[in-house]
Amino acid sequence: MLKRDRWLTWIFVTPAVLLVAVMMYYPMIGTVIESLYSTSFINPTPKFVGLAVYQKIFGSADFGQIVWNSCVWTLAVVALQNGFGFLSALLLNQKLPGQGLMRSLILLPWVLPGVVAAILWRFMYDPQLGLINSFLISAGFGDQGLAWLADSSTAMAAAVIAAVWKGFPFCTIVYLAALQNVEEEQMEAARIDGAGAVRRLWHIVLPSMKEVIVINFILTTILTFNYFDMIWVLTRGGPQNATHIFPTKIYELGFGQFRFGEAAGYGVVSIVILALLITLYFLAQGSGRKAAS
Amino acid sequence: MSVAPSKTSRAGLMLLQLGLCVVILLPFFWMVSVSLKPASEPFAIPARLWPQNPTLENYVTAFRPEFRTYFFNSVVVSLSTVVITVTLALFAAYSFTRTQMRAISVLMLLVIVAQMFPASAIIIPIYKMMKAANLLNTYASLILAYVTVTLPVAIWMLRGFLSRLPVALEEAAAIDGAGPFKIFFLIILPLCKPGIVATAVFVLIVTWQEFLFALSFTSTKDMRTLPVGMNDFIGQYGIRYGELMASSVLISVPVIAIFFLLQRQFVAGLTAGAVKG
Repeated sequence: MLKRDRWLTWIFVTPAVLLVAVMMYYPMIGTVIESLYSTSFINPTPKFVGLAVYQKIFGSADFGQIVWNSCVWTLAVVALQNGFGFLSALLLNQKLPGQGLMRSLILLPWVLPGVVAAILWRFMYDPQLGLINSFLISAGFGDQGLAWLADSSTAMAAAVIAAVWKGFPFCTIVYLAALQNVEEEQMEAARIDGAGAVRRLWHIVLPSMKEVIVINFILTTILTFNYFDMIWVLTRGGPQNATHIFPTKIYELGFGQFRFGEAAGYGVVSIVILALLITLYFLAQGSGRKAAS
Repeated sequence: MSVAPSKTSRAGLMLLQLGLCVVILLPFFWMVSVSLKPASEPFAIPARLWPQNPTLENYVTAFRPEFRTYFFNSVVVSLSTVVITVTLALFAAYSFTRTQMRAISVLMLLVIVAQMFPASAIIIPIYKMMKAANLLNTYASLILAYVTVTLPVAIWMLRGFLSRLPVALEEAAAIDGAGPFKIFFLIILPLCKPGIVATAVFVLIVTWQEFLFALSFTSTKDMRTLPVGMNDFIGQYGIRYGELMASSVLISVPVIAIFFLLQRQFVAGLTAGAVKG
């Protein structure tokens, strides 16, 4: 398409722009408006209540727990996914036999449908039939299985492990591609100068991958913060709210109890918290850049 | 950058690689193993990794009429979404990479930014719009929602491919008298086929497993998609894990097969955007 085809340019972008405007930007504003009204199963007609919904949310006992859970969940999953992703990318970047096959297999958990992965892990954690307890018992750790997902002290950690398994291969593939872009000459020069593997990693590999790492952290943070499937299928937010995060709470309030106003209020708060988390990354990146220069 | 490790560290690295392989594959292996286990064979401690008398009986039971309905629904919704999303994204990304109009660039950036919007935070207004338009519990509501949420990523991925095609080619064709449509269909389309394949596979993987919208927008069994149907199975059949695992295998096979077939192009396309920016 050349410069003279202005009208055509507009026709080509209009469907996408319209859809995203109507189905994403408008609902974004709609959520804020919705949160100013109150509805419930008994009173389905929306009634304007102003900021009362927020008063109710901030005053409720669940709220602090959900913010805490969401942050723990997001930070733990993001850190572990990126950590494992980076380490396994380093491993798959070595010249080893079976490498081609490994690079194909590694994405399997990520391709597996989310609900299937969640059901599979629910089964792995099953107190009587699960593989994890079976291993632990045969290895001599007690003679009775633990109910990982039904115990509020282990449920969150169990969910985090399942989510890390499902998502880290994506990080591996991204980091592997970035590793293959690191300049060969620079590495060779450092090797000749006597720099060991750790120093090469720290002074050449990491700085050249910095942008990819930041983008990937932001991407995985957004995906994890909004990750509904895993927790909903594993625990539905239980036991006693121990694994409730924003998406599961919003679904439960909105579609379980028809309290749309409150659900929308949680939605608005979740957007603010996610935006804060992402701003933190940008600040960290900015200060890192200053320190480096 | 690639490194050839020394012989001693090589053995250690091979061991690590084997460990990684086990971590990735063990849950899959177990899923298949349990799906082949006859209902009469008990779960034992220590767990038997492969059933004594493997059978396909769980698959026969799992492939019941409801399951076939869910499967059909998932196919209809996913394929429609892939076709519509890729088409719209291709048009939009093409305009985006070839225009010098500021307004278009700004609009497209706004579209791409929308991929960061949390689905759970905007689902209630979308649900109400669907309700007002009488679209709840229809294929249309799901396809519309899926096309919208996959469009930003699809445009972002295709933009990466299109921006690497030289404009000189199009200019030459235009001088030879080819119109914009001819250029688009005869030059651009064939050249960015790898990008189209990568984007299509990505959209398929995302839609095939979408859960939140499907759970919220469908209310009757005949409209459920596979992920929601699977979630229902947990409640209905309690701990009949054999059947549950057989259904899991049946759901996963189509996406895994497509992924392996088109893997090379897919991985290249997925990482092109993230790595080259």
